[in-house]
Amino acid sequence: MATEIRIPKLGFSMEVGTLAEWLVPDGADVTEGQEIYALENDKSTQEVESPATGKLKIIVSTTGEEYPVGELIGTIE
Amino acid sequence: MSDTQMADKDVLIDIFTRADLIMQSDIKFRKMIGAGQLQIVYYPVRGQEVVSSAMMAAVNQEDYLVTIYRGLHDQLAKGIPSKDLWAEFAGKMAGTCKGKGGPMHITHPETGVMVTTGIVGSGIPIANGLALASQLEKDGKVTVCCFGDGASNIGAFHEGLNMAQVWKLPVIFLCQNNLYSEHTPMAFATSSDTIKQRGEGLGMRSVRVNGNDASEMYAAAKEAVEYARAGNGPTLIEAMTFRFHGHLLGDTGHYIPEAEMEQALKDDPMPILRQQLLDIQVSEADIAAIEAKNKEIIDEAAQFALDAPYPPGDEYRIDVLDVEIAA
Repeated sequence: MATEIRIPKLGFSMEVGTLAEWLVPDGADVTEGQEIYALENDKSTQEVESPATGKLKIIVSTTGEEYPVGELIGTIE
Repeated sequence: MSDTQMADKDVLIDIFTRADLIMQSDIKFRKMIGAGQLQIVYYPVRGQEVVSSAMMAAVNQEDYLVTIYRGLHDQLAKGIPSKDLWAEFAGKMAGTCKGKGGPMHITHPETGVMVTTGIVGSGIPIANGLALASQLEKDGKVTVCCFGDGASNIGAFHEGLNMAQVWKLPVIFLCQNNLYSEHTPMAFATSSDTIKQRGEGLGMRSVRVNGNDASEMYAAAKEAVEYARAGNGPTLIEAMTFRFHGHLLGDTGHYIPEAEMEQALKDDPMPILRQQLLDIQVSEADIAAIEAKNKEIIDEAAQFALDAPYPPGDEYRIDVLDVEIAA
């Protein structure tokens, strides 16, 4: 079963996050805990870890854009 | 601190079972929130598992707990069923408060979790009220009130502890001192060297223990519970501990010096307790079975929470006042 990667809520009042950069390419094999993308919110930029081990499928590839918390941006299969 | 006798084998297994459930739950929450699968504000508890597990192992299910929003460890240690808790964290109808309390307000009287508050220090007067009721009704219950080091700078702490001592209420004030109040190091904003001193200043029986040591923490907890049940009054326990993650998920904890964090991680109470079990001849297979069972409970609870429905819209009229508000 694929594990979803959605824009996380990482602050008390965070409602949107900017997908700054994918740190691994589409289709790459990633391991759980590996940093896979950088997320910007109003306070900071942080690297977000992969929730699972498997093949990364990037759904949203446009970086530098704001997305709402909960937006599906990729999956791990 | 180090001359405490090792707790009995059964007690240590009990504490480990609770603490492992907490640790695995915390990891799973952080993973699911990090992946955006749950969109909630979360206050990590990794590092503080043993404090509450040892405390709650010393009380009964009927005894009361009042805790604060970094409370997952206290709530699970007290015995809230994981499914009910996860559903409430996710804001679902099947949760302990029908999804209307959320992670900041976990309440489950069936297991004695009377209230979780969202304001630092605000649980102390509430705990006094519960303990006063027990004293008047002579029901033999004790109330455990959990808070952090930062709460001891709040007026309610000083007023509440004073009153509890004057009335000799059956309450245990468990200060889980993780050395940081939100993003502020204790020494920066706290005038006394210890929280224990503050209890002593109010004439209260006060102890300071290594909360990350299961046997030492359990001994202090048991003694305080017996003292309260015998009608002698409250105890302040200052339990030294540490939190391994930021104040809330998304806070990277950059204000914690690297060396301090490194040392704290070396003193991680979980592998230490696990090793203690092995040392007293609990088999690796038995420990692994506890961990596997906890994982199963958590996986099931997490899936249940994801699948469960949100409360319907008209729920806003119910549980607010004693009577249902008209539509």
